[in-house]
Amino acid sequence: MGDTFTKSMALLHTWVGVIIGSVLFAMFWFGTLSVFASEIDRWMLPQTRIVPAIAHATAPLSLDRLAALAAPQIPKEAKQWRIDLPTARNPTAELTWRTAGAGGDEHARLIDPVTYSLLAPQQSHGATGFFVPFHYMLHIAWLDLGKWLAGLAAMAMLALLVSGVVIHKKIFIQLFTFRPHKRLQRSALDLHNLTGVVALPFHFMIALSGLVIFITIYFPQLHAGAYGTDARAKAAFMADAYGKYARKPAGAPGPLASLDAMRATAQQQWGGGQPYFVRVFHPGDANSYVELRRSYANDVTMNLDQVYFDAATGKVLARFEAGPVMTAQRFISGLHFIRFDHALLRWLYFAGGLAGCVMICTGFLFWIEARRAQHAKKGLAGVRVVEGLTIGSVTGIVLATQVFMVANRLLPADGQHGENAALEVQAFYGAWALSFAHAWWRGRTAWRGQAGAIAALAVLAVALNWASTGDHLYRTLAQGRYAVAGVDLMLVGVALAGAYIARRLRTS
Amino acid sequence: MALRIAGAIAGGYALTALAVAACSAALASAGMARAEAVALCAMLGFVLFLVLVLWACSVRSVGRLYLALAGGAMLLAALWWTVA
Repeated sequence: MGDTFTKSMALLHTWVGVIIGSVLFAMFWFGTLSVFASEIDRWMLPQTRIVPAIAHATAPLSLDRLAALAAPQIPKEAKQWRIDLPTARNPTAELTWRTAGAGGDEHARLIDPVTYSLLAPQQSHGATGFFVPFHYMLHIAWLDLGKWLAGLAAMAMLALLVSGVVIHKKIFIQLFTFRPHKRLQRSALDLHNLTGVVALPFHFMIALSGLVIFITIYFPQLHAGAYGTDARAKAAFMADAYGKYARKPAGAPGPLASLDAMRATAQQQWGGGQPYFVRVFHPGDANSYVELRRSYANDVTMNLDQVYFDAATGKVLARFEAGPVMTAQRFISGLHFIRFDHALLRWLYFAGGLAGCVMICTGFLFWIEARRAQHAKKGLAGVRVVEGLTIGSVTGIVLATQVFMVANRLLPADGQHGENAALEVQAFYGAWALSFAHAWWRGRTAWRGQAGAIAALAVLAVALNWASTGDHLYRTLAQGRYAVAGVDLMLVGVALAGAYIARRLRTS
Repeated sequence: MALRIAGAIAGGYALTALAVAACSAALASAGMARAEAVALCAMLGFVLFLVLVLWACSVRSVGRLYLALAGGAMLLAALWWTVA
């Protein structure tokens, strides 16, 4: 494109950044929040603010008691049901079942594992049901388009990182350069370089590992060489790589043997490893079978270890362990998912994600400021369009997230199941659309207004949490309930940051 | 410019997908477990795609870009056909 390699990379960096920056910011923002998805879930689903983890300490949960609790909930036509066990960060067990038909509807109920009782039906998607899917599929399910867009953005991120390194010669100096009181254009570039260079290894790893998770999505024909192209080839590859056991229902009734005995067998096979979920296929059928999956709470690698049992007799039907390359794939996936328990790393991931948000935002600011005078002179609309896009994608998405959380605490807790969840999502998109409209209408001054609104909404969210659940910071901190306290503290931090930015923009 | 972008994204992706299939077929026929060969090639595919895109953006003439894409595709197809 350019005369030299460096100039080509500069062109690539500029234009790919402007075109895909909005999608990347949304992915970074929700990816950053996803690092603490469990904690935000506690805040958004007050019925799950139960005493955490102690359930582990006494005795292992009885799978048979959980199954007995689940049985009346599961309709006869259910094809399978599953119970996910509580973890250190997630104090509830979760029952899910799927009804017959292609795909089948999925239903879920949360369980208090201490008292073996069902919790009130979930009123919100929470972070796990809304922020996390937004991060990887942008809530566009049609033709997997959202995942493809996210994949394109991740590839663009890799190209941006490489081209960014190529066009900057003084990488080491940029690690220590930030001049916050120079002109905005200079300060923005300093901050863009600083965050880009400091977090470069993290950003490269996170973009590449995000792609590696979805090898079967982004290369839908990956099996064609080794397995051929016929209809069953992909299923054969999936079974070899990820493990699968299946048998058809017999059509005659059959019992379910002790799940606790099956767990004991699985633990023996795994050298003491614990299951993290149990799944029963064709419940009540003579050919019913049970799957146990090994937990990876203490591993980066999200192992694929699974044991299948005959439901009636409890005999082992099949075992699966991933091969070395697939284990590497699951290690790389684990680097991205950060499902393992490690508080310090979790905070570093959070910081790396925020650094990415700052990097994308300041990249936009540099693009805008470098062209503002020139475009005004020539009467071009580019700066105005990109500025609106930037404000809507940066402060707009943060603001919409705050509205989502405020709506969560504002909607009555006795709302019909599912209704509240849909209203929260509508509030999110409504607020986001409004912030784009506001940004294009007001131009540059919209930054200040939206930063102020973010600050006000964050304060409101903390107050509403107190008013609706009685949980204020003093109480949650004193009782050591750090998930709820942490989210409240984060909201206070957001409020302070929003107020500071709004104030500073007024004087400048 | 449009030709270059199409070559970089669509052409680069097509060549990468072909490389994943052809190389996994070759590795599998060399004795590697099939699923392992596929997973290895698919993971490396992202790196290949990145290199192709960056090269496509910097190569001097668009003609050379398409020549290289076509040449690469022929080589990979030949490899696939040999081991299949």
